Amino acid sequence: MPRGDFLGSLEQIVMLAVMRLGTNAYGMTVRREIEERTGREISIGAVYATLERLEAKGYVSSFTGEPTAERGGRAKRHFEIEAAGHEALSASQNALKNMSEGLSRRWKRA
Amino acid sequence: MSPSTIALSQRILARLMPPAQAEALLGDLLEECRLRVESPASATRWYWMQLVSSMPVLLWTSLRRGAWLITIVTAVASYIAAAAIELALGYSLTRMTTSESVRLVIVLLANVAALAPCGYVAASIRPGAARLLAFLMFATTCLMLATGSRAPLWFGGSLLILGPLATIAGAALSGRWRTRKPSSRRA
Repeated sequence: MPRGDFLGSLEQIVMLAVMRLGTNAYGMTVRREIEERTGREISIGAVYATLERLEAKGYVSSFTGEPTAERGGRAKRHFEIEAAGHEALSASQNALKNMSEGLSRRWKRA
Repeated sequence: MSPSTIALSQRILARLMPPAQAEALLGDLLEECRLRVESPASATRWYWMQLVSSMPVLLWTSLRRGAWLITIVTAVASYIAAAAIELALGYSLTRMTTSESVRLVIVLLANVAALAPCGYVAASIRPGAARLLAFLMFATTCLMLATGSRAPLWFGGSLLILGPLATIAGAALSGRWRTRKPSSRRA
């Protein structure tokens, strides 16, 4: 992972959603997964913008599926995590884990 | 969803995203609208809420995507900054010697010393700007050599190689010399 390039919180959430959804990861399912699991409302545009940024960094890749009728004949754009993405996500999660280690008692007090 | 609503949102999205992405996003919106079991009116409201709330982030992404103007401005500004640093360094250091060869070596080193940090800064802003800066340096040195500058050939030749190299080295230090191209394929 490039120096100083930890993933942002939304980037981590989007990548985790893509990972959870596996072969069924595309804009709508990623958005719904995030809303259901985090309770955080998110626009489809924010999901696409984040995925585009992650794709530019080489952390995710995309491919176009077949058009379907329920989408008005429009194709899905599927996403999957690349090896560099797994590495970046793991580094960001480890950094958070290491930073929060031993702070659980303080959290409980707060 | 009415055809006019779809056509209007298609036109809006086409201005903010590449066509394939806009189509996919529109398809996602339509698919989720169908899954919403509430009244058609609330589904339409949800659709527009999604579209409107997506606009700021899509606009920002679109500005970042079509950043060629920022890249050019950054490269030219870095080039001017490098020239100013080189001039100031060269002027202050060449006063210490009367030998023409030593002066030229000092100017050459001042060039390298100015281009490396400018390459670093340019790459930190836009990786493409550092590449453009290296090209600008190469092109102007070629022009200098082609127009029969008074400087000796060894100076021009060294500048031709060391100028872009210093820029690349500075940019490489920033870790942003290369950006990976997004991969896209069809299933």
